[in-house]
Amino acid sequence: MNSEMVFFWTAVAFYGLSAFSYIFGLISMKEKLFSAGLILSFLGLAGNVTAVAFRWIKGGVLPFSDISESITSGVLIAIAIFLIVQASSKRLRAIGALVMPVAFVLIGWAGTLMKEVSGQIAPSLQSYWLWFHIVGASTGFGAVLVAAGTGLVFLLKERYKTGIYEKLPDPDSLDNLNYRFVAGGFIMFGLMLISGALWSNQVHGKYWNWDPVESWSLVCWLIYGMFLHLRITMGWRGRSLAWYSMVAVLVMITSYWGIPFVVQNFHTGFRIEH
Amino acid sequence: MQLKGNRNSGGRWRKLRIFNQLYNFLSSVRLTIVLFVLILISCVTGTALLPVPVARLFIFSSIWFNVLLVFLISNVAFCFFPKIWRRKIDLIFAGMIIFHLSFILLFIGIVYDSMFYFRGTIRLTEGETLNLADSRSYDHIEQGRFFERERNLKMWIVLHKLVTGHKVNGKNMGVANEISVGGREEVKRDFIYVINHLEYKGFKFYRARDGFSPLIVLRDRNGNVLYGAYSPLQSIREENKKYLYVIGTAEAPGYIPFPQDSILQQLFYLQAKYYPSPKNSRIGEVFFDVREIVSDDPEDGKELFSGSAALRERVSVGDYFLSMEEVRYWASIDIRHNPGLPLIFTSLWIGFGGIILTTVARLIKRK
Repeated sequence: MNSEMVFFWTAVAFYGLSAFSYIFGLISMKEKLFSAGLILSFLGLAGNVTAVAFRWIKGGVLPFSDISESITSGVLIAIAIFLIVQASSKRLRAIGALVMPVAFVLIGWAGTLMKEVSGQIAPSLQSYWLWFHIVGASTGFGAVLVAAGTGLVFLLKERYKTGIYEKLPDPDSLDNLNYRFVAGGFIMFGLMLISGALWSNQVHGKYWNWDPVESWSLVCWLIYGMFLHLRITMGWRGRSLAWYSMVAVLVMITSYWGIPFVVQNFHTGFRIEH
Repeated sequence: MQLKGNRNSGGRWRKLRIFNQLYNFLSSVRLTIVLFVLILISCVTGTALLPVPVARLFIFSSIWFNVLLVFLISNVAFCFFPKIWRRKIDLIFAGMIIFHLSFILLFIGIVYDSMFYFRGTIRLTEGETLNLADSRSYDHIEQGRFFERERNLKMWIVLHKLVTGHKVNGKNMGVANEISVGGREEVKRDFIYVINHLEYKGFKFYRARDGFSPLIVLRDRNGNVLYGAYSPLQSIREENKKYLYVIGTAEAPGYIPFPQDSILQQLFYLQAKYYPSPKNSRIGEVFFDVREIVSDDPEDGKELFSGSAALRERVSVGDYFLSMEEVRYWASIDIRHNPGLPLIFTSLWIGFGGIILTTVARLIKRK
């Protein structure tokens, strides 16, 4: 096993241990397990970054050209956002109970799909719009995953009042945080869609192809747009939106990585057939 | 007079009632939800259950789906704009207005584009020139109702050569086509490759596909040339992931009656395969399969020749000689004209600016 894979699977192991720490911390109501989960997630991120760096150096191109690389970079950004949130408030530790298991499952799956490093980036991917597209997609994913985590914590806080739940932020703050992360994700998804359209226009002369991933990304964007409308226009708050953000992130994950895995299309392995 | 007046005012009220009902219908949140669910179901069906070309034909390009999108945009406008009427405009609202206005702009851009757009695909062999105003130059044409091809496409195109491994600033850009496009006034010449197109008078030329196009020549027994033509070969991917370059359809090898000329008599069915050399793709081995014409099915005819030959080597087929004299490339090029595109992209950026403005203003206000 080469160095890249050693770091990659170490990251997967740390993410897995972190996920278990968060889940058992929640079940056993032991805050120390949350702290352990946090340290493990940080170690996992270090492994993740190192593995990506090794792959980058080995191939000479930023690794995001196939589905496993896309998942790996998406998880990396999501965990980085999660750790920034953790650093900003100790009271938000519990969101790791949703963020870390999702990250663990995704990156583990990416490991099973990992291919030999590509030494050359496909000509069609040599566009500056791609950077905006990937930054928008990864950051958007990280934001809505954290939003879903705050949604879960909101529901727990509403149901349980004692023990570690007592220390969680009040429901209004959680609800507000949920909204802010969804709004951030909505903006980043917007950037992803626009840059994707410009990129597609540069390569194909068509800004929109109704490609399955395109259609699902639009659906995701509309779903988060609905979230914002329900909150701002219809006055929805609290539990309903907490559930909404948790279901919406599943649709988002399906659209990003489920659809290209199942349906042959432009985004499948991000190949261009000519 | 009074009766007449009443009748008139009654009619006016009826009209107003109809407008009122129409307004209530278009500004209903229920309509938003229904439209959203229908679009969601269509997208899920089109992407998860149907193959992409079928989904494009029956869902995404269909009138009913586009009507749903038009309704959604109208619904957004009717829901949003009356609500902001006479309200104090702060940064949050300004952002929201900009964002929702961008949808209207986007819609106008799409409608305008759909009326004047042009999409065409041409196929040329290296050295060939095509007149773009002539519909016979195209393999495929789509155009808006108000686009006039003969008037707007008074230009010609030449494919000079196809280059593999085209390098730009040291980066490999793959296959590139060197083309010239010109009209009466000016000529533009450039390489087009996957991330670079050529633009001429609002028309964009994109590289699409390519393949081999060998020159097949027929001679009599004295060596006089009777006929010669470039025949584009299909690239068929075989099970071992290698490509077979052969006369036929996109799916399978096939035969063509030869010579392919309306004046000359068709002498036999021909299938030609080409095996390019790994070092130089323009030099390789040829394989001819020639059959007698007895019916529409080439398999019914007697085999006249079947075997390989070097490039320019003449093989004997009955009273004639057949040879592959040289190999050129063919390239298909997509030609696009989308006059609504600037408006569409501008509206997207305006909308993006709008959501950033409203979100930032909300965050500042909360703080």
